Amino acid sequence: MRFGKLIEVVSVAAAAVVLAAPSYADVDTDFANQLHGYGIYGPRDYNAWLGKITCNRLGNGIDADADKSAAFLSKNLPRGSTTPQTWQFLAAAIGTYCPEQMPVLTSAAGPR
Amino acid sequence: MGTPTGVRRVRARSVLRAGNVVLAGAVAATAFAGAAAADGTDDYPIPHRMIITACTAEQILAAARDFTPIYYQRYIIDKHNKPPEVRQAAIDSAHYFFSLTPQDRTAYSEQTATNFADPMTLAWPNWAKIFFNNKGVAAKETDNCSNYPPDDQSVWDG
Repeated sequence: MRFGKLIEVVSVAAAAVVLAAPSYADVDTDFANQLHGYGIYGPRDYNAWLGKITCNRLGNGIDADADKSAAFLSKNLPRGSTTPQTWQFLAAAIGTYCPEQMPVLTSAAGPR
Repeated sequence: MGTPTGVRRVRARSVLRAGNVVLAGAVAATAFAGAAAADGTDDYPIPHRMIITACTAEQILAAARDFTPIYYQRYIIDKHNKPPEVRQAAIDSAHYFFSLTPQDRTAYSEQTATNFADPMTLAWPNWAKIFFNNKGVAAKETDNCSNYPPDDQSVWDG
């Protein structure tokens, strides 16, 4: 009886993992969901690639700081995107694809 | 019953003749359309903005990197998948094109429309995709290219 209960618990947990797995399997999907929270829509793959390119530009110095990144993004997000949305996209992209660039964001936020 | 047979026959003949004229016109139109399709036009195969721009290939690419980044990345990835000599040939071909006058570019465009045996095109059919293929991309590139340095070779490597 006890053993049966254990099996049940384990299988429920396993089912939870299996069911939860799709939403965590794909980073790009999580990124898209995060963007939806900011009211930024558009093709998932386009946004993911844009996020990765943003990281790449920070990494190779094409964009020297977060302001440059935001300027780059403002040209390439859908027309009508707001400044807050641009920065939300930038923060989400760094958090998702290049967390090592987080200091770029924090230094832009802090006193200069 | 009202019209005599002779009149009817004449009318029928003139209708036929009119039909022939229309038919001949249609045949001629088709023939001319065929000839036109093989020619370059103001925007095909090379967009007019690329014919008249004063920018270098590097300036165009820099604008593409910032204003159509995904189109640019696709092109750079495609380029990286080609052998080194084909890559260099593409760079040389782009330099050659942008060194031409607008008149010579038009002639080049004309030739590009018909010469499918061009060795550069055979080696890499999409070698000029970032410059010529998409009018929207060409518009963004030519609108912004003058703000970039004319000779920054790093734009070829993404």
